[in-house]
Amino acid sequence: MDSISKEFSKVEKKQQEVADSTIDNIDKIINEIQEAQKRLETDPVSAGAILKELELKFKELTTKTLESHKELQKVIIRYEKIVDKKWKNDITIASNPEVFANKEKVLNTTVALHFIREGRFELANTFIREAQLDIPNTIQTQFHEMYQILGDIKLEKLEPAIEWARTKSKELEKRGSTLEFELHRQRYVQLLIDNRREEALVYAKKKFPLFHSRHIFDIKRLMCALAFSNRLSTSPYKDLLSPDLWIELQNKFMRDFCNLLGMSSESPLYISVTVGATALPTILKMATIMKEKKNEWSQQDELPVEVPLPDYMRYHSIFACPVSKEQSTEKNPPMMLPCGHVICHESLNKLSRGNSFQPF
Amino acid sequence: MNKLNYDGLLVLEQPFIKVPLEQLKKTAKVSQKELDKEFTKSNLTVSDLTNKINQGKIGVSDASTALEGMVGRLQSLKRKLNDTKVEEAMYVSRSKQRLSHLNELTHIPSANSEAYTQWSRVRLDRILVDYMLREGFSETALHLAKAESIEAYVDVELFSQARRVEQALQRFSCTEALRWCNDNKSNLRKMQSTFEFNLRLQEFIELIRAGKKSESIAYAKKNLNSFQENHMKEIQQAMTLLAFQPNTKCPPYKKLYDKSRWDALIAQFRADNFALNSLTSQPLLTVTLQAGLSALKTPMCSQPDNRNINCPVCSPDTLGLLAQNLPLSHHVNSTIVCRLSGEIIDEDNPPMSLPNGYVYSLKALEEMSSKNNGQIKCPRTEKVYDFKDLKKVFIS
Ligand SMILES: [Zn+2]
Repeated sequence: MDSISKEFSKVEKKQQEVADSTIDNIDKIINEIQEAQKRLETDPVSAGAILKELELKFKELTTKTLESHKELQKVIIRYEKIVDKKWKNDITIASNPEVFANKEKVLNTTVALHFIREGRFELANTFIREAQLDIPNTIQTQFHEMYQILGDIKLEKLEPAIEWARTKSKELEKRGSTLEFELHRQRYVQLLIDNRREEALVYAKKKFPLFHSRHIFDIKRLMCALAFSNRLSTSPYKDLLSPDLWIELQNKFMRDFCNLLGMSSESPLYISVTVGATALPTILKMATIMKEKKNEWSQQDELPVEVPLPDYMRYHSIFACPVSKEQSTEKNPPMMLPCGHVICHESLNKLSRGNSFQPF
Repeated sequence: MNKLNYDGLLVLEQPFIKVPLEQLKKTAKVSQKELDKEFTKSNLTVSDLTNKINQGKIGVSDASTALEGMVGRLQSLKRKLNDTKVEEAMYVSRSKQRLSHLNELTHIPSANSEAYTQWSRVRLDRILVDYMLREGFSETALHLAKAESIEAYVDVELFSQARRVEQALQRFSCTEALRWCNDNKSNLRKMQSTFEFNLRLQEFIELIRAGKKSESIAYAKKNLNSFQENHMKEIQQAMTLLAFQPNTKCPPYKKLYDKSRWDALIAQFRADNFALNSLTSQPLLTVTLQAGLSALKTPMCSQPDNRNINCPVCSPDTLGLLAQNLPLSHHVNSTIVCRLSGEIIDEDNPPMSLPNGYVYSLKALEEMSSKNNGQIKCPRTEKVYDFKDLKKVFIS
């Protein structure tokens, strides 16, 4: 990138220079002509000499201007060369229009849902209208609610979130979410910070018993913090003041809200495109090799090479058999040996027959 | 894995840098041409005047009038150049902003950083604007570009020019398209494009369709004959069309009369226009999505029991459908994702098997048993076991 930027800065400089000098030179030429006109009037006898002089001046100035222009084109070409060196490949061989054929509507719906879940409602509506999509209003209403509550959490106003969590209490608990408790904890800490000890105590008595079995350890700590309410920031409980807790709360709220709607917490379109941008060089290399053999990468059952993914983007267990090196499938599931080692069913069959093993 | 592969990530950015460069090149060529034309002409005029006055063919006042005319022309040249210079400067500034956006990426230390997330969000918005523009959703494209202040990162004008040509073709008019051909003559020739010939041929066909025989012959003489070298056969066939009515059933002529030729013209215009401007033939959205979905796709994604709501490919109505015809990802090593915690199981958090054969991570099981007096409830079968009945599993 550095060498490209360097070459580009020459283009930038030259363009400015040439633009200025060209206009300047045209002005000069006009001046010379007008000067010659005046002289013709006052000294018509020397007309031949005056015009000859103008002709020479004219040639000089126009040649100079044209040459500086050619210079500009030369720097642009040099910049182009270095850009072309960096980007040699045609990236579209990594995509096959057939794969998405007749799926425009699905793709557009995916994009519209992406806008909605990001809270860009106006944009979503523009797009839904322009692309003539049919997306139930309820989804927008739901995300509207989410962003409203989220906005309140950002302003450290917890009541709407607490109310929402109360109505979803059962579902949240079923998913093992600790959101409801954490919202109450945060409200309690808020009261402590405001030095409203009495209220904090009343709040704790009213809310915490519900979470006794799941959060007894946290609750004990929170009650102990009561003793330090006037100097929480220098107490052993100063972690309760961390602004990170607020960020965490926002993220947890969004995650749980989306999950209860049966949606992921991060936009799936964002994840897919981000993975795609990372995977592109690998796919491109593979597509190029396959193209030479008249094959299309997108028509394979399985990619021939691995595209590395960050841990948080691995959503499913993959079992690659240590014996056969193959990925397990429904028909060839992983099996556990009595010693605790796991190999795939086919490998197991090859190793021994007649023994019964537990499915994995 | 969290280190960013800058060179790899930049692969996608070819059109991002090439498009304004191509436009800058074109504009610079235009000003060069204008200058060249006007200067050559003026140079000739001046030397001509000098000669004529020396030979006494014209008087001083004639010379002065001629010079006056030159001043006028030079002033209009100046105005024109002022415009193209503004345009040039715009493409320079656009290139600069884009380069510095890419440079920003190369200073982001890791994929886990907030900075990378922000950068990637802008990338997605850029990619979406490109998609909207190509699909003709220009209102959405403008709305998005404006809302995110990424106007310098997208090529709205390029597409709105193209849109005009396409709309004219949809109205069965070649005029805009022919003007476009004229503006891009030398580059189209370099590409060996047959677009202009096809446009001319279409205008010829339309004259015959309208029953204007003599006009069509004149048109062919004027506009088709120059293509004889490369399109002899097609021209001959087209001339024969004069003998057939528009409702003919005769295959090659029926095909020439077919209105779907206009759709083919639009498709050809798009392809040529993209190539000419260094735009990829497919939208970047489909390029990245196909790569990404394939890298994420596992056999589990199509099994309702194994669905993970966070996995894009697992959404059956949207990305799952798009991924339907894509290959599965390939993995050399096992990765076991704990169904309880969603965490990856590894040496630090080893896999443990319940007596029923299901496997979860030690950490998640420990947490569960600590809250339930040492008991484990399998989330898949709802059976309850003692923590001490767990067995360590070896996956490698
Ligand atoms: Zn999946």
